[in-house]
Amino acid sequence: MNAHSFERELQDLQPPAADPEARLRAREAALAEFGRIYPAEPVEKPATSPGRWKLFAWPRGGMAWGGMATACVALVAVSLLWLTPAEKRLIRSPVSVIAEQRAPERAAPDAEAQVAQRAEPAAAPLAIPPPVKREIPPASARPPKVDQPSDAASRATLQKATPEQESRDDFRKSASASTALTNVTNAPPPPAPPVAPAAAQGSLQEVQVTGSRIQSRAYDSPMPVVTMQPGATDPGRFGHFESNPLKRVADAPVSTFSVDVDTASYAVVRRQINEGQLPPADAVRVEEMINYFDYAWPAATSRNQPFRPTIAVSDSPWSEGRKLIHIGIKGYELPVRQQPDVNLVLLLDVSGSMNSPDKLPLAQQSLALLLDSLKPTDTVAIVVYAGAAGQVLAPTPVSEREAILRALYSLRPGGSTAGAAGIRLAYELAERSFRKEGVNRILLATDGDFNVGITDLEQLKSFVARERDKGVFLSVLGFGEGNYRDDMAQMLAQNGNGVAAYIDTVAEARKVLVQQATGSLFTIAKDVKLQVEFNPSTVAEYRLIGYETRALNEEDFNNDKVDAGDVGSGHTVTAIYEITPAGLKSSLDERRYAGRQPAPAASSSKANEYGYLKIRYKLPDSNRSRLIEQPILADAGIPAALRQDVAFSTAVAGFGQVLRDGRDTGKWGLNDVIRLAQSSVGADPHGYRAEFLQLVRRAQAMEAKD
Amino acid sequence: MDDQELLGLIRRAQGGDAAAFARLLDLHYDTIHRLSWKWCGNRADADDIAQQACIKLAGSLPQFRFQSAFRSWLYHLVLSCARDWQRSQRRHDHDELLENHPASQASRTEDSIYLTQLLSQLDSLGEGMKDTALLVHAEGLSHAEAGAVLGVSESTISWRIHTMRKQMNRREAVAGGAL
Repeated sequence: MNAHSFERELQDLQPPAADPEARLRAREAALAEFGRIYPAEPVEKPATSPGRWKLFAWPRGGMAWGGMATACVALVAVSLLWLTPAEKRLIRSPVSVIAEQRAPERAAPDAEAQVAQRAEPAAAPLAIPPPVKREIPPASARPPKVDQPSDAASRATLQKATPEQESRDDFRKSASASTALTNVTNAPPPPAPPVAPAAAQGSLQEVQVTGSRIQSRAYDSPMPVVTMQPGATDPGRFGHFESNPLKRVADAPVSTFSVDVDTASYAVVRRQINEGQLPPADAVRVEEMINYFDYAWPAATSRNQPFRPTIAVSDSPWSEGRKLIHIGIKGYELPVRQQPDVNLVLLLDVSGSMNSPDKLPLAQQSLALLLDSLKPTDTVAIVVYAGAAGQVLAPTPVSEREAILRALYSLRPGGSTAGAAGIRLAYELAERSFRKEGVNRILLATDGDFNVGITDLEQLKSFVARERDKGVFLSVLGFGEGNYRDDMAQMLAQNGNGVAAYIDTVAEARKVLVQQATGSLFTIAKDVKLQVEFNPSTVAEYRLIGYETRALNEEDFNNDKVDAGDVGSGHTVTAIYEITPAGLKSSLDERRYAGRQPAPAASSSKANEYGYLKIRYKLPDSNRSRLIEQPILADAGIPAALRQDVAFSTAVAGFGQVLRDGRDTGKWGLNDVIRLAQSSVGADPHGYRAEFLQLVRRAQAMEAKD
Repeated sequence: MDDQELLGLIRRAQGGDAAAFARLLDLHYDTIHRLSWKWCGNRADADDIAQQACIKLAGSLPQFRFQSAFRSWLYHLVLSCARDWQRSQRRHDHDELLENHPASQASRTEDSIYLTQLLSQLDSLGEGMKDTALLVHAEGLSHAEAGAVLGVSESTISWRIHTMRKQMNRREAVAGGAL
């Protein structure tokens, strides 16, 4: 940005022309006030009828705004009852004008009563007035202006009102509506207007006057929104979870979980360590650390069977005699020409807290990088929330790169006014430019302020889930530190069929949004669930490393209604089990009563199987799951080409476990992590593995200091 | 309209001449609305602020003593209405949250969002900064005129302008440094 650009921006402002309606309303209101101040002066009546305006006692020297707004609730609720639908539509800021227009009608008992009845159809319900629209109604729908009495009703009003103007005080005492008005001037508390029956009382509570705009408050709206003080209560940035325990195959032979392609945990851990701090255990999700790295598991070759599992069995480096079972999946990689159309809506947090180089500016750069991964015909829209709310960029084809970048880079952090409806607007835009055959996704970028307009967690969750079912997915990009709500990001992404990534550097942005962009954008399989049934005659105990937050019940596996993680194009997912082969000294005591079950006869033919792997998944456009099955052979070993990848992923798994608690890794420590990782860095084209090594060394230095 | 004419109009309005007051309103509504819009960044709110300023003009006109330029006095009045309006908005933020009208949000133009953001950023730089920036940069007032409107000395305005430039440049440098 240029120096002094804000000054130029201010100089170049192009204020829109004032709305003629607004101008007229302001003029009338001001003249009314003027008439109140100079009541005795017999002045000409240029555009309005000052006499009528004098009936009102506005507070002197300007408005007591908040007070007026509140006090007006009662008044407005009553006034609204008498308005024709067209007038209701017109109600906007001139609370005063409307009240003033109506008061004389209530004042005069007989003739005016009829007028009032004419103005409101007899059957008019005392219900909540419809929400006020900002739009000006078409000319035909507009009620006649006060100053242009074009129909009998308002003429009658005028005629009646004029003679009464002198006895203003008496009028005020006698007329119920103006009683309410008097109260507006902040005198005694408003007595319930006598004209308002019980039903009207009900409606009083529902009419909200906000500032000068009247809004009906939809209590029964399917998604009421509650206010949250951002940062006021922080139940912890990381959801708590316990490491998976060792399980006896005889007790629980079946292990079921959902895939997790998120990598956010690794980035969070990296950041903390780089800042000289060992991360808290809850920040370490071992599977996300493992899955941060790319492994050369063989990819599937067809879109219709989007992956095939790779199984490797190796010795556990941290407990003698135990084995590790690697289950690796690599999602089918969509060739560029097969990439579906993308309809992307960026939902950006621009609250004041984003004002840090590693927040909004980094988000802007990251998202700019993302454009490189998109086709010219894909569309991008931008919505902001928190600092300001609204649409910054309508869905725009990526070919108009400059326009997108300009919109993106013009955003500044600032302001604390909560921008409601941010997330709804984002979904609305996504739905508006919905691509039936394509990818429709919201990309939420935030530093943790999830005050997107729906602040009740459960509602937000179900809202995101509902939208997911409609085909609009949600991913979360987390930025910055301090109030980053990792738990919220995870929850939202899981419910939105998306990924949660934590971006702390431009390099990370490049990894997530460029190198893995196709994976983040194009789902090749959804609701991917894994289930392993262990063979009790060959395996005594097992433990799944990581995936604690992704555990599923056994029965969820075959239930297609149960949501699970998704796999994107080219994603690799790796799960590692540690098992104690049968016959080995197990760490769990033998049961006294259940005893050791004799191996069933049938199992003899399966004596070389540790277990049986089943994977359920749905193709992106299908709601019925498919099944992939494969035995886990005890002598599977490690395919030669995958030796390094198995070793490296083991090193990462070990690092994660040591960072968490070291419960299962015993004496095996960071030194061993380094040795194992060093031996398996491999080609490492992007330097991620080298970076991992540095990270472990740093952690080691910190550990030594403690 | 020359100054004499304007002063005559004000005197007549102060004397209770509604026609003169109406004329005064008609002459200045655009100015009032323009400043309101620049202050808040969106038209609907500007409509509200402008209306309040018009009402307040009626009540305050008797207090205009011809000691300052009418325009400066008017600016002062609009800014104070705008601040009152903002206070009332804050009070009602809670209610705003309960509303759900993305359509109206969507209808806001791009510019107004940038402006809103810029304004809140200026506002965060300190008291009077935003008003000063608006008067000097957006309305083209001299430092002395702006000082008269805001009731501070000319040198205070100069200092504010300088400080804002420095701080905004620093912010942008920080933002750019991450590249």
